[in-house]
Amino acid sequence: MFLKAKLSWNILITCENLNSNELTLHKTIILQLLNEFSTRRATEEHGYFIAVISLDKVGDGKVRTLTGDVLFPVDFTCITLKPFRGEVLDGVVDKVLKNGLFLKAGPLDSVFVPSKTIGKFQYVHGEIPIFLNEKMERLEKDTTVRFRVFGIQWKESDRCFRMLGTLDGGLLGPV
Amino acid sequence: MSGEDEENASELKIGEEFLKAKCLMNGEVAQILDHKYQQLEQISDDPMNQMSQVFEKSQQYVKRFSRYKNANSVKQVREILSRHQLAEFELCVLGNLCPETVEEAVAMVPSVKTKGRSHTDDAIEKMLHDLSLIKKFE
Repeated sequence: MFLKAKLSWNILITCENLNSNELTLHKTIILQLLNEFSTRRATEEHGYFIAVISLDKVGDGKVRTLTGDVLFPVDFTCITLKPFRGEVLDGVVDKVLKNGLFLKAGPLDSVFVPSKTIGKFQYVHGEIPIFLNEKMERLEKDTTVRFRVFGIQWKESDRCFRMLGTLDGGLLGPV
Repeated sequence: MSGEDEENASELKIGEEFLKAKCLMNGEVAQILDHKYQQLEQISDDPMNQMSQVFEKSQQYVKRFSRYKNANSVKQVREILSRHQLAEFELCVLGNLCPETVEEAVAMVPSVKTKGRSHTDDAIEKMLHDLSLIKKFE
């Protein structure tokens, strides 16, 4: 689910980038915030960081005695994408393997659907592997599917979520 | 986490802070990201380069999966859904997935049928009908 979140971060401006002109300083802080926003990528609590919508408040800076750098507390509003267990989402088939499917839904790009939870689909081996059911519905690369999230794991080392999905159950599957 | 406290969005167990947080429908996100992208185009020669991967993937995703294309209908969808005492989360799931039948709506958002809530099949039917009208006149 996409969320509109209000966050407070501390933004460090090194002393060589400090400027007595308020506008220039403001711009430096914004650029530094945007930079950190995209490099942080995601957190377990808020999900993926997508875009900053507005800068709400810049507090008084605190000088770091040893370096002369200044730390500014910044409040801002942003869009994040956080997966929830039990949520139903639309996605696209990315890879077809014998033991299951990999789906993508925007930044949530590694959602594994084990073959056990694909429902009544059978794996069909071939040059282009697919899953097929009795109604001859196909699941192949780029098929649009509706799935339910049933497992989420946060990977701190890669700063991303690994997810498990299911197509089993009412009204899920190819759309 | 174990047993009853485990997160389960289909029962609306998603943590107090997220129940209150404002959720956004795909269509709303698409508008905001397009606007951001245009802003960047004006100040930068190479806007693609300024975008994080996460931004790019999200933009492609919401474009593909937004049922309502124009700003006005996205606004109307939120208006209609917000008349029905739904949690933010439920509202956005319904707006994103656009179920066509009551059965489908309840399967996508089982929490609307939990005890103590007043969503009758008729009320849900009416809501889905209103939504389909927006799509028709888009």
